Amino acid sequence: MECVVQGIIETQHVEALQILLQGLCGAPKERIRVHELCLKSGPNLGVVPSEVRLLCDLAQPTPSWTVRHVGGSMRGAGAEQISVLVRTVVESKVGNNALRFFYALGYKLDHELLKIGFAFRFQKGAPITITVTSANKMPRLHATDEAVPVTPGIQLVEITAPAAADNYNDVASAVSSFCEYLAPLLHLSKPGVSTGIVPTAAAAAASLLSNSGGKTI
Amino acid sequence: MENIGGVALPQGQQPPPAPEGVAPPKVERLNPVVQQQLNLESVKTRALGLYKAISRILEEFDAFARTSSTPKWQDALGQFSMVSMELFNIVEDIKNVSKAFVVHPRNVNAENATILPVMLSSKLLPEMEAEDNTKREQLLYGISGLPVHMQIEKLKARIDMIGAACEAAEKVISDCRKAYGLGSRQGPTLVPTLDKVQAAKIQEQENLLRAAVNYGEGLRIPADQRQLPTSLPSHLVDVLPFGDGAQNLGDNSGTYVKNNPPFSSNSVNTQGVLQTPGGQLIGRSVPSPSNSAFDNASTPPMAYANSPRSSTNIANTPSPQQQVQQQQQQRQKIMQLPQHQQSLLVQQQLRQSSNAGVLGQGSISQLHDITGQTQQKFQQEHLINIIGLRINIYTSIAK
Repeated sequence: MECVVQGIIETQHVEALQILLQGLCGAPKERIRVHELCLKSGPNLGVVPSEVRLLCDLAQPTPSWTVRHVGGSMRGAGAEQISVLVRTVVESKVGNNALRFFYALGYKLDHELLKIGFAFRFQKGAPITITVTSANKMPRLHATDEAVPVTPGIQLVEITAPAAADNYNDVASAVSSFCEYLAPLLHLSKPGVSTGIVPTAAAAAASLLSNSGGKTI
Repeated sequence: MENIGGVALPQGQQPPPAPEGVAPPKVERLNPVVQQQLNLESVKTRALGLYKAISRILEEFDAFARTSSTPKWQDALGQFSMVSMELFNIVEDIKNVSKAFVVHPRNVNAENATILPVMLSSKLLPEMEAEDNTKREQLLYGISGLPVHMQIEKLKARIDMIGAACEAAEKVISDCRKAYGLGSRQGPTLVPTLDKVQAAKIQEQENLLRAAVNYGEGLRIPADQRQLPTSLPSHLVDVLPFGDGAQNLGDNSGTYVKNNPPFSSNSVNTQGVLQTPGGQLIGRSVPSPSNSAFDNASTPPMAYANSPRSSTNIANTPSPQQQVQQQQQQRQKIMQLPQHQQSLLVQQQLRQSSNAGVLGQGSISQLHDITGQTQQKFQQEHLINIIGLRINIYTSIAK
């Protein structure tokens, strides 16, 4: 299971966000360049199509593959009270013949996406991962070199933390409290709920980027 | 009462009388309640504290003056405000209790008959009077000759001007605060609002982005444009089967992946028996009329169908006798199973194939058809060959 929230930030403020995250997390950023292939199952595998994502990490010299299945999210009155989305997720490293394997099973490529950006890891109550990426689409199949951003002016910020059935409340509160640190720059919400941009983002970004550092007198 | 550092008492009135005044013949005791309320001890302590604070500030300013360095105005102003607040509190406390005191001396008698009129007069002390006069002259300089109502008007105009100047100064200060990023100490901060048009654009972009990332909207390439590029990125070169027309995407097409890297040639190694979609059983390895590349097959020729219910037991595998027997037993069991489970078993066997390699997209659906029909032996090691042959057969049929 994982707790996840998403938000958007204008590309011009991404550098300021990076500085803020660097200050919060301490560790340097990790580059992200992931080719995500989303496969949907064919009719032979059941009435309801299932979706599987294959992620190829291109940031490392040797590409590594991960398979990821995102399950249903928690529903009900309790879920509505939590400010993060809690959903089941199964993830595993796989060899590079995974794609062929899934094709053999009958999965078909639904869409693909190239995500370029960076990530930070933060440990407070739960291992929290913050990724800031721009989603790029490929004009031709598998043409990762020709990828163009879907929305050039806006990037996606995603905060995830692994959770279990018995501790998801604590993890959710840890994620929410972390989101408050980012409040001057962006608002985060459950995936599917739009937030808009924050009006104080420009001022906050300016103060983060300024060298003199606005000290309050 | 001691002089508290030059504190100016209101309007030159007599200082609040202390019980010890002008050497009374008999010391009168105050009402104990009043005494308690007055709490002279605390007043004394506070007054002393105030005196010390003020002298400290004066010393600091002396130091600044000597070293000619600029003081930190924030700190200085803070200290001043503290001092003035403390003084205000002391005076307030005393005022509360001062009603209990009457002017001393209470009675007129021979001693104070002469001095009392002086004490009672509200006339200002001479120096205070002089100060007052000079200030009044300054104020009414130039307009003292005019009639009174005009003087009043002029004074009002001056007051208005001063008021306007103060407002302008306040505005300048607040603008500077905003420009330099300082928070305002009081009053609400203005939150910049977004232009509506801009907000709508951003909302639209946001929806696009979220839909793309979460659901893949706007990223799907239509089926007719889905052709594998001739040059794949490096991470996909070994992963995807190369070759023209080989795709496993979208529609339920009949094209199959042709070959896989383990085989040296880029051709199809096809041996074995396959079944067409129509369910006809094809006998031994049929060389395809299309790209005939069976000759460079590296595996020994085998003939079998990819169905567990195989009647022709063509077993050329170097499998031990036991394995064959097991397979026969399996087949018998399979026969007894309902069709659905048979297909599942077939799928299982497919998966167990160590040489899984590339399977055609519709192979499993084909197997569904197959299992219901005939019994044919299913040899796992040569699946690839089967599929390859099927491809060729389909292409030949399609033509």
